[in-house]
Amino acid sequence: MALDLYVNGTAHAVDVDPATPLLWVIRDHVGLTGTKFSCGIGQCGACTVHVDGRPVRSCSFPVSAAAGKRITTIEGLSPDGSHPLQVAWIELDAPQCGYCQSGMLMSALALLTRNPRPTDADIDAAVTNACRCSSYHRVRKAIHRAADLMRKQGAGV
Amino acid sequence: MTADESSPERKGLDRREFLAAAGSAAFVLGFWVPQRASAANIAGAVWYEDSAVPEINAWIVIAPDDTVTIRIAQTELGQGVWTSNAMMVAEELQCDWSKVVSQYASANRDAREMAPAWTLNVPGNGGTDPKGGGTPDFGNRARTGGFGIPDSLYRRMRTNAAASVKDGRYYLQLAGAEARERLLLAAAADWGVPVAELAAKDSVITHAKTGRRTTYGRIAHLAARTPHPHPEAIAIKPPEQWTLMGTEQKNRDIPAKVTGQTLYAIDVRLPGMKWAAVKSCPVYGGDVKSYDFDAIRGRPGVRSAMRFPIPDPKLTRGRVFSGGVAVIADSWYQAKQALDAMPVEWSISPEHAAFNTQNMHAALLAALDRPGKVRVDEGDVDAVFAKAKRIVEATYSTPYLPRARMEPGNATVLVTNDRVDIWIGDQSPQETRFSASQITGIAEQNVYLHMCHLGGGFGRNGNGPQAEQAIMIANANRGTPIHLLWTREEDFTGTTYRAMGVARLKAALDDDGWPVALEVRTGMQKDGFGPDASFDVASRYFVPNYRFSNHTTDFHVPVGTRRGVGQAAHEFYRESFMDELAHAAGKDPYRYRRELLARTKLPFRNDMIRALDIAAEMSGWGTPLPQGKARAIALEERGAEAGGSATISAMVHTVSVSRDGRVKLERVDVAHDKGFGLVNPLSVKKQIEGQITWFYNDAMHQACTIADGRIVENNFDRFPLSRIDEDPPEINVRFFETGHWLIGMGHDRGTSVQAAIGDALFQITGKRIRDLPYGKHDLRWG
Repeated sequence: MALDLYVNGTAHAVDVDPATPLLWVIRDHVGLTGTKFSCGIGQCGACTVHVDGRPVRSCSFPVSAAAGKRITTIEGLSPDGSHPLQVAWIELDAPQCGYCQSGMLMSALALLTRNPRPTDADIDAAVTNACRCSSYHRVRKAIHRAADLMRKQGAGV
Repeated sequence: MTADESSPERKGLDRREFLAAAGSAAFVLGFWVPQRASAANIAGAVWYEDSAVPEINAWIVIAPDDTVTIRIAQTELGQGVWTSNAMMVAEELQCDWSKVVSQYASANRDAREMAPAWTLNVPGNGGTDPKGGGTPDFGNRARTGGFGIPDSLYRRMRTNAAASVKDGRYYLQLAGAEARERLLLAAAADWGVPVAELAAKDSVITHAKTGRRTTYGRIAHLAARTPHPHPEAIAIKPPEQWTLMGTEQKNRDIPAKVTGQTLYAIDVRLPGMKWAAVKSCPVYGGDVKSYDFDAIRGRPGVRSAMRFPIPDPKLTRGRVFSGGVAVIADSWYQAKQALDAMPVEWSISPEHAAFNTQNMHAALLAALDRPGKVRVDEGDVDAVFAKAKRIVEATYSTPYLPRARMEPGNATVLVTNDRVDIWIGDQSPQETRFSASQITGIAEQNVYLHMCHLGGGFGRNGNGPQAEQAIMIANANRGTPIHLLWTREEDFTGTTYRAMGVARLKAALDDDGWPVALEVRTGMQKDGFGPDASFDVASRYFVPNYRFSNHTTDFHVPVGTRRGVGQAAHEFYRESFMDELAHAAGKDPYRYRRELLARTKLPFRNDMIRALDIAAEMSGWGTPLPQGKARAIALEERGAEAGGSATISAMVHTVSVSRDGRVKLERVDVAHDKGFGLVNPLSVKKQIEGQITWFYNDAMHQACTIADGRIVENNFDRFPLSRIDEDPPEINVRFFETGHWLIGMGHDRGTSVQAAIGDALFQITGKRIRDLPYGKHDLRWG
């Protein structure tokens, strides 16, 4: 079945079973591999992308539900690592193995988009991605730092 | 084809000619063979490629623009070797650190070339530790064995035992020093001046007398042709001369990890590649009885199905996994959907299917009552117990635990008739190279590993037979690159586990509450790792009569290391029991431990005492806390009994427990050993931070149980992972000076969380819980 997907501002026509999880279409048909597979059941959040600005766990989200909508992946955050979240992540040296970080960043983006001044409790509630290296200590600091940078720069997301 | 026949030396070809010959032969036969250049062109690839300019030595290539490529023979899995290994080379090279690029070393060259003789001059082989303590693990030189460091080109390519710095530091520093000296020799010859008059800093060579100046990039082509006259005389810098090592350096792999550009093995795509989804028999040791490919034939994208046998235990360190089936399709999702729909019948041994957590736990406890392997027997334990007035006894239990790294097992393999290419994140490429050779019959010299960063590791090739399965499937589909990817559930079947364990500790106390006899019995399956950990040779806490014995039984679950080689469970037993003894004695658990350490003759007694003192002081030990909060302290050590290398830390954990039983690790104060010096203290802090929540997760939530011989909790819905809300808000780390050789800190730091939460629970709720995880118990109080 032919579907139109708008990924990071670019249109892609894909011919795929509409029940296919969005994750595999992004990785295999669109060819963007920054979004990761880990649990396949929407538990860990490694596959988090935005659909019309809302974070979804793409391993358990049928591609048909994303057709015609704006999809943003880690590659759409910025091509060069200049987004305040990425700047803060680098400044804090937040990732360890890094495998979960695309999803972690996309969840943090969703939080900061609706809440530019999150408390620790806000972070706890919104960023529920799993990190097996437990990079959380620096991720929390990096979210606060990114919030500072975004406010200072007045950067829209 | 035997190894000898295929070796380039035998045919009189150099390596490049040999590759060209191999490539053209394959072309004639119609096989697609990846060219090095096209493989390297995959965006984000960090695997080895031949350099465009002559290398200085096997670790170092310097381009005319002063870019320094440093080959890394360990695997980056979040612990920071991509940066710390490069720092050890760059420290000696005295190059411009901002122009250093890391790249994986070639496991293929390692199969073809021997290590330069000067790299053999290390502790254990004639070298001397400047601080006089300990030696790396150079005992046996097998490339495929569990121990020792081979004398092939890149020496130790394993990433294990938290030993990348300990075992590699000498020859990595030497590699940098050898290159620096040859750059200086080349410049001196070029200018006709004595080499002793030259200075090198930040990739610039200067001659003060004449004001001449050049860069490494400009002189590198000459240095590559300039041998060192006495390489065996090259000395490495002692810690007091370090300028780069010992400073906090941001990890060089981070920018690519925040833009999605890092190429993990799961991201590898090759022309003509097909995907394999696999299902192994869920009961270890089982195999496929039958499968019905006809039921899925004709599904979209599906190409074929095949069965594969139990991976040869000789290739998996004796571990017996399972046989299984693979479905090969154009995309992995198609393969997996078809596999899920394909009827498969298993052949399962009734003995294995009879195992469950209850009967296994009972078997372990029964083993404790039988005579075991006595490792230490000092004094007369039985006589003291016979007349003791006061005996404290406790039995602890720990569950099976998997690593559950985030990236599920995967590998891409292309087998042609004379060559194997493997794209993989792998903690032991020399072993995988051997496996490929054994499975395909193609010589190790013709096996090429294209290394990727790993999405988590936590214990060498204990992550299971991902490579062996992929090689078997690709070997049956020669000419087609096969990308095998495990589901999360399959990853739980494919991994090894930290062995389920039990321990019974029994102490006799004197009238003042000090132990006069201690008996430690630990039990796990006989192939469990680290039976000696934390208790062997001598009790860490003084007791005049001491017996330590191991009691084993046979289970079918494949076991391995897991962020520790026995310490994680054994330190939970030991430190929990010390708390119990201190409470029984009516003494402060910090001062109780301190006094008992002070009474020992252990070589690192004073370092352990300092760790406790510093952590206690940092935490405000003894100051009042509100109801519902408690502090607990525990010691973490590895090697404290031996007097060689060791890593020592102590942590104080401030824990709150709400009346409805919610536990929160509020604050952690860490005192950690510096040894001869930390290479990258930033990475060390990150390892400590990460392991605190790793062990919190273990202590509170994680367990894999067995039912009908299979792992029950096999995805993150039933095997919970701690999230950011469980990370302690405050972690304070202080490093303190010690003089010994560090073992490493990539594992068994943070083990103290387990006992500390147990003691905090006891202090707050009055409940003493001795089997993990705590989260399965009723923790309510008041």
